[in-house]
Amino acid sequence: METFGVVVVGAGPGGYPAAIRAAQLGASVALVEREFLGGTCLNYGCIPSKALIHTSDLYAQMRSSGSLGLKTESASFDYAAMAERKDQVVRNLRNGVKQLLAANGVKVFEGTASFESRKRIVVSSKSGSTVIGAEKTIIATGATSSMPAFLPRHERVVESRAFLDLKSAPNRALVLGGGVIGCEFACMLAQLGVQVTIVEILEDIVAFLDADVRRELRRQMEKALAIRILTGTSLENITADEHTVRGTAGGEALEADLLLAALGRKPVTAELQLENAGLKTSQHGFIEVDEYGATQVSTIYAIGDVTGDPQLAHAATSQGLVAAENACTRHRRKNEKLIPYCIFTSPEVGAVGLTEQDAAKQGREVRTGKFNFGALGKSLAIGHPSGFVKWIADAKTEQLLGAQAIGVQATDLIAEATTAIRAELTATELAQTIHCHPTLAEAWMEAADVLLGEPIHTIAKRARG
Amino acid sequence: MVRPITMPKLGQSEEVGTLVRWRKKVGDTVAKGDILFEIETDKALLEVESFFEGTLLKTVVQEGATVPINTTVGFVGDRGEVIPEVAAPSPEFRKPAPLAASTQGPRPATPPPARGMIEARVERPAALLGAVREPPLRPTPSVMAAPEVFRISPRAAKLARESAVNPVPIVGTGPSGRIVERDVKNYLESKEYYQLRITPAAKRLAARENIDVLSLDGGTGRITVARIGRAISEKPQPMSRMRQTIASRLTESFTTTPHFFVTVAVDMTGLVNFRSELKAHGASYTVTDFILKAVALSLVEFPIVNSTTDGKSVRWHSKVHLGLAVNLDQGLVVPVIRDAEELSLAELHDAATELIAKARAGKLTPDEMGGSTFTISNMGMLDIENFTAIINPGESAILAVSSTVKQPVVRDDQIVVRDIMKMTLSSDHRIIDGATAARFTNAINQKLEEISLWKRLA
Repeated sequence: METFGVVVVGAGPGGYPAAIRAAQLGASVALVEREFLGGTCLNYGCIPSKALIHTSDLYAQMRSSGSLGLKTESASFDYAAMAERKDQVVRNLRNGVKQLLAANGVKVFEGTASFESRKRIVVSSKSGSTVIGAEKTIIATGATSSMPAFLPRHERVVESRAFLDLKSAPNRALVLGGGVIGCEFACMLAQLGVQVTIVEILEDIVAFLDADVRRELRRQMEKALAIRILTGTSLENITADEHTVRGTAGGEALEADLLLAALGRKPVTAELQLENAGLKTSQHGFIEVDEYGATQVSTIYAIGDVTGDPQLAHAATSQGLVAAENACTRHRRKNEKLIPYCIFTSPEVGAVGLTEQDAAKQGREVRTGKFNFGALGKSLAIGHPSGFVKWIADAKTEQLLGAQAIGVQATDLIAEATTAIRAELTATELAQTIHCHPTLAEAWMEAADVLLGEPIHTIAKRARG
Repeated sequence: MVRPITMPKLGQSEEVGTLVRWRKKVGDTVAKGDILFEIETDKALLEVESFFEGTLLKTVVQEGATVPINTTVGFVGDRGEVIPEVAAPSPEFRKPAPLAASTQGPRPATPPPARGMIEARVERPAALLGAVREPPLRPTPSVMAAPEVFRISPRAAKLARESAVNPVPIVGTGPSGRIVERDVKNYLESKEYYQLRITPAAKRLAARENIDVLSLDGGTGRITVARIGRAISEKPQPMSRMRQTIASRLTESFTTTPHFFVTVAVDMTGLVNFRSELKAHGASYTVTDFILKAVALSLVEFPIVNSTTDGKSVRWHSKVHLGLAVNLDQGLVVPVIRDAEELSLAELHDAATELIAKARAGKLTPDEMGGSTFTISNMGMLDIENFTAIINPGESAILAVSSTVKQPVVRDDQIVVRDIMKMTLSSDHRIIDGATAARFTNAINQKLEEISLWKRLA
């Protein structure tokens, strides 16, 4: 039996960086993957969806670029070609991961891992099964889309992965679930001219977002993209036949060519046989870990979606590196707590740290500063004048505690805010930092000025009053 | 008509009172009997009712201020009436706060201010203690006006403040030892201040909360907001006046009275059963009631235990005033049952019930909390096997009563299960000999175990 210092189960955005870091730290490392290197993120999540969204976004911009002096009325798209480019991007990246693992001396096992005991793992595949020894194990098996039983099993009813495999776009789509995945795909389809209806059982879409941001997102999705959003209602009586998917929401009959179910994701633990390692899952099926990423068994760590929220690739990567370091060195590091969010809707959303609603719930006194892109030179120059950025800071010390951005490139813009918050900068520090002109990032500086009550490019409330 | 409200006199020994909290705001309508404000005396927290009706027109004394009794604290009258000019009670001349160095390690303990000083001052206790224990980063004007203590240039003070560093230990090189900006810079350099990795928000918070970042212990890592937050929660907090009084009285008693302890185990089986019997007949007594009675009877038999000494003379108290310790969230209070030797078991029960209820409601008056000649502290409900108590000043003994628990004991050479309650007498050994203490404690014991006695008394 071959024994490794560290065995990582799952080669997603949490697992493969964990394997590489463990190898960098001198451990002998095995990485077990039953499907594709790169996991959900690379193969049927972040990357392919962004490849499609990039095209749809560009197409939508072209269609509305008459005001920029372009004549693009005849623009059209070929969905099959879009899908092929997406697959090419995925193949390239997957190949890149393979090379990185090889260069770092990580041994990749293809197959499904299950615990035989705490320190023995069976890898089974079509070609047979192998037992490997593991001093330390990092579980990174991720999560998969929920497909509740009330949904008919039919090719016109898809979750995100099957959706990404489509070779053509529908004319009308029903999106069940107004969370991040549902909204991203709804926007993409709407940009391609598809008639989209979102049905969300909660009172609003993307409920965890700051209320200001949610209002703006919903307004733009409804106004600019003509997406129908039904909230506070469930989709019932769902049926699918050869041509049509039907359902009712609040008594109204809805029909479409396709139903996309975006109802959250559930952890993948079924084949692991955790009980053989002395582990149990939580009530909701997740593997619980402490702030160092360790499970109740001290030699076994777990990272990423299988441990629960926030179900974000970048959070999994960070947790993977922490777990690898904790498994391989004597110095223990805690998981990072400040996790930024990025949502690739149209407009994009970035968020990190405290929201105004969180602050109110905690009874914490805060000051906010909001700056609209409409007042920023760059935004107007590039024809994207909508959206805003917003800071939340401690009322007494001006410590930056949270930030939200909605508008073009908001998902990139949130990085600066994340760095500032993690470094415990104050609004004054941020306002005094020189930002390039003309750039979208200037909005952070302006918003900090607004928070401090001394804005240059907008009129202070004080002055108006 | 405008009527002044004054700090009431609440007990014979009270000369000052602390206004803890206004319960009405300026502009609020006040009815007769409404609670206007809360005050704290050495012994308790009390509510003060209004004798007048109208509107609270003005508050003169701020929350947290301690003022002599009869000081005007505010005015009630009709809306719009003119308030007579009253100078806010002025603080006594204040000596500059002792300026303890606090650069490394724990701060040297600063002796608490003399009591008289505290009482004469009119200011918030937080500010007071802040000044005494934690030299402020920004010297207050009154401190700056005291040249022999502290001289610092405004620029130097600003630099120290913005660096979140206490300027007090800095040696000044300016005229008359005045600290100038250069001194602060040299000081920061010598303390390796610039090697500290402190986040901007952490520095700002430390400056705001008067935390000296040079005094933080532990670790060479980044100084974050969380670290400053810890230092803030570790800052010494002022004790309430009640707590300060408890502290000084306990210290005085324990350090000046030679305590001597005897413990007996009382077999409460009979009394527990008798109490249940009484309860079944509608008469409900607590274990404390029986102890109060047994103690009152025993104190009459042992006059020396109901006496006190100053070390030169012994004074016997002809009356038995029983103190009963009651634990509250903010500390212990000891209401007193007067003339306990004259009270029947039922009367003792009623007196104790009433006083305990008043104590819990914070309604005891200072006069109900003084003058006891002997104290009982019953921690029976707290699962205690045995404990010793500290004698209250002005008494010569205290009885510590613990929980009644079922225990195996030997009776007639047989092991049997009985309800056993331990009690420990702490006595002033200057006037109570060991044998006397033993006999007195056993006298109580015998009474508690003698059911025929209770059958007569209940």
